Amino acid sequence: MEQLASIIGWEALKMIVGLIGVLAFVVVNALILTWAERKVAGHMQRRIGPKEVGPYGLIQPIADALKLLGKEILTPRAVDKPLYYVAPMLIFIPVLVSFIVIPFDASLVVKDINVGILVILAFSSLSMFSILMAGWGSNNKYALMGAIRSIAQNIAYEIPLLLALLPIIMMTNSFSLKTIVEAQQGLWFVFYQPLAFCIYFIAGVAETNRTPFDLPEAESELVAGYHTEYSGMRFALFFLAEYTNMFIVSAIAVTFFLGGYQGPFLPGIIWFLLKSYLLVFVIMWLKWTFPRVRFDQLLNISWKALIPLAFINLLITGGLLKL
Amino acid sequence: MVGKIKTELGAALGNIEIGEVNYRERGYHLCCEVDSGEIVKVARFFDERGFYLAAEICVDYKEYLELVYIFGNHAALCRVKVALKVDPAKPVVPTISTVFDCAYWYEREIREFFGVTFEGHPNMTYLFLHEGIDYYPLRKGQVQVSAEDKKSLGSFQPEGAEDTFCINLGPQHPSTHGVLRVVLKMDGEYIEEAEPVLGYLHRMHEKMAENRGYLQFHANTGRMDYLGAMAFNLGYVTAVERMCGIAVPDRANYVRVIATELNRLSSHLMWLGAYLADLGALTPFLYVFDDREQINDILEPVTGSRLTYAYFRFGGLYNDVDEAFVAATKAFVERMKSRFVLYEKLVTGNVIFINRTRGIGVITKERARKQAVSGPVLRAAGIAMDMRKTEPCAAYGAMDFDVPVGTRGDALDIYHVRIKEMENAVRIIEQALAGLPEGPVMAEKVPKKLKPPKGDIYHTVETPRGELGIYIVSDESDTPYRMKWRVPSFSNLMVFPELAKGNLLADTVAILGALDLVIPEIDR
Repeated sequence: MEQLASIIGWEALKMIVGLIGVLAFVVVNALILTWAERKVAGHMQRRIGPKEVGPYGLIQPIADALKLLGKEILTPRAVDKPLYYVAPMLIFIPVLVSFIVIPFDASLVVKDINVGILVILAFSSLSMFSILMAGWGSNNKYALMGAIRSIAQNIAYEIPLLLALLPIIMMTNSFSLKTIVEAQQGLWFVFYQPLAFCIYFIAGVAETNRTPFDLPEAESELVAGYHTEYSGMRFALFFLAEYTNMFIVSAIAVTFFLGGYQGPFLPGIIWFLLKSYLLVFVIMWLKWTFPRVRFDQLLNISWKALIPLAFINLLITGGLLKL
Repeated sequence: MVGKIKTELGAALGNIEIGEVNYRERGYHLCCEVDSGEIVKVARFFDERGFYLAAEICVDYKEYLELVYIFGNHAALCRVKVALKVDPAKPVVPTISTVFDCAYWYEREIREFFGVTFEGHPNMTYLFLHEGIDYYPLRKGQVQVSAEDKKSLGSFQPEGAEDTFCINLGPQHPSTHGVLRVVLKMDGEYIEEAEPVLGYLHRMHEKMAENRGYLQFHANTGRMDYLGAMAFNLGYVTAVERMCGIAVPDRANYVRVIATELNRLSSHLMWLGAYLADLGALTPFLYVFDDREQINDILEPVTGSRLTYAYFRFGGLYNDVDEAFVAATKAFVERMKSRFVLYEKLVTGNVIFINRTRGIGVITKERARKQAVSGPVLRAAGIAMDMRKTEPCAAYGAMDFDVPVGTRGDALDIYHVRIKEMENAVRIIEQALAGLPEGPVMAEKVPKKLKPPKGDIYHTVETPRGELGIYIVSDESDTPYRMKWRVPSFSNLMVFPELAKGNLLADTVAILGALDLVIPEIDR
């Protein structure tokens, strides 16, 4: 270990170990969430969900993963090959990068950068590229429409997302996620900024493309949106990215508004995961309860409601801080 | 009303004989025969008086082809049959699609099945038969389709300028619920033009009817509208019973009402679930299937099937109901009442749902009449017409129920009308169960091979989707000479292109779902 460290340096080694840990977490998280989604959906729909594979169906996600791995990877003849191949891989990069700066515990963070939140936001906009590539490269009209919708939606919702986080940054004078968590030792920021929390959460759900904002993949309109033409493991990558995004959105909400890893009695990481998965559950709850909004309504919610509200909130926060 | 129309029509047409026929036997009050030159005038006459074109039917009598126009009225029961003789050697008739919009589709259907050309029709192309055919299928003799005719019929080719974006909604698409294909010309997310393409499930039931006995064809009826099979059964058996003058025992009539209403409930429940799934809410689907399953469990032991029923027989029922059926239905009715409250909470008040459906796909009264829309869609437009009220068959006359109507004619109104109709169906079932008489369920001495007397009948019933009209011509043999099915989904689909224009793709799905189309019924 020390030999390896002496060759590449401690910092780099930490990075590599961290990345491996993040990869492992992404996969485990997706497994847990697919199982949870099936169970949540089941119970909301008067069913019991998976129960045959393992106790309470716990092994079900592994069976699903094996099935997806074993599937033939079909490539439709008319696709734009480079774009079509690269898109599912590219969608994974922003997801991985986001994990690097999220503090799971006081000392459990791959790299605490002083512009952490900017890194997350910047990279999450990158996922738009892969969606556009998937939609365009698939050479399918439904896929293209899904991609176009996705981009319009992402642009519209990234603004309130950032505007909702800004008051917190103003209050703590820091972009570092760890500093923000440490600043919440007394009272969580959700109590100072309830409106910002609501705006962030709505925009966050929209960013993850889930019902009621699942227009890019609206099944009844666009078949499956931008991943219509993907199958097997390539489809699984989009799927994995969606579930991981869901966790990231919740994790940022926890970090910014719900005190991050802080909490009594239990270790920090437990608190962090507990709070995050609670928010993930709320996102699932929304999906299985609400119909889908229409495209113009979706954009109206952002441009006409969320953004003005976020600005007002920002102004009030700034004014109060100055006093 | 009938007398008034008779004198007015007589005055308008000059010296043409207008016959008054026995409504019980024929299903229409007045009939007359006009020349092809006068048909447009006749159509205008009925249009001005607020009639709608219920059906346009062609019958091949070998020496001549007869075009039958059935005009009906929403306000009162007054049906007029206008017949028109066409020379089979040179079948050309002026179109009335300029007067009644629905004739646009009816005439295309007649063109490909009989080879009658409608002068002035804007688009005489295939509707059901895409690949082209060698013979006109419903002509009695072998009449070849000439190469020239084939060319003029042509198959549907969506065409457009270089920069139009055409998209195929279907035939395999999650929200067309079957094999409907709609070609959408789009401008971004907005629809510029929508053209339904039919025929993916065309089985030519009408030709099958000409080749088998009356009882043999019975099983086909449930295959047309697989969700509301019982109402199709009911329409068919009551039509034939009326032709043959068979009286049905009271008990059978009551059981028919119970079974049909149970089936209506299950059909509407299915619609509710599927419609909300179209709008993106997947959970209600499972809830309605819970209820639907119970209906299937009630009907299965009695009828022998769970979906495509063939329960009724000419003169009664295949099987009497027992105590277990009555008890199960009573329990179901009680349970259903609490379920409506649940749906109210789950769906009706939801802000997103209301915003998605209010003001979407508005059908005006005038458009509903011109397009011969029927069923809940018509009632949502504000016209209170229900065949169970205007022309009650079985024991519907003895039942007390409301005909819910809407005020705006949009998708939200259609939703409310359907929900209220379900509540009324529960009421009807309750009444029928309470009044269920004892006695036989089969009329005596119904011959095995039915040979109805010579003549025709136009009989209607209210299916879950609207007015089902069955036109049967008998030549006293044991098979029907011609049988035409005027199906509600077909007429309801016709308003769709107009409604979709200028709307978003998402609204199109909301409109299409609200119409509650069953594709096998459209294609027959």
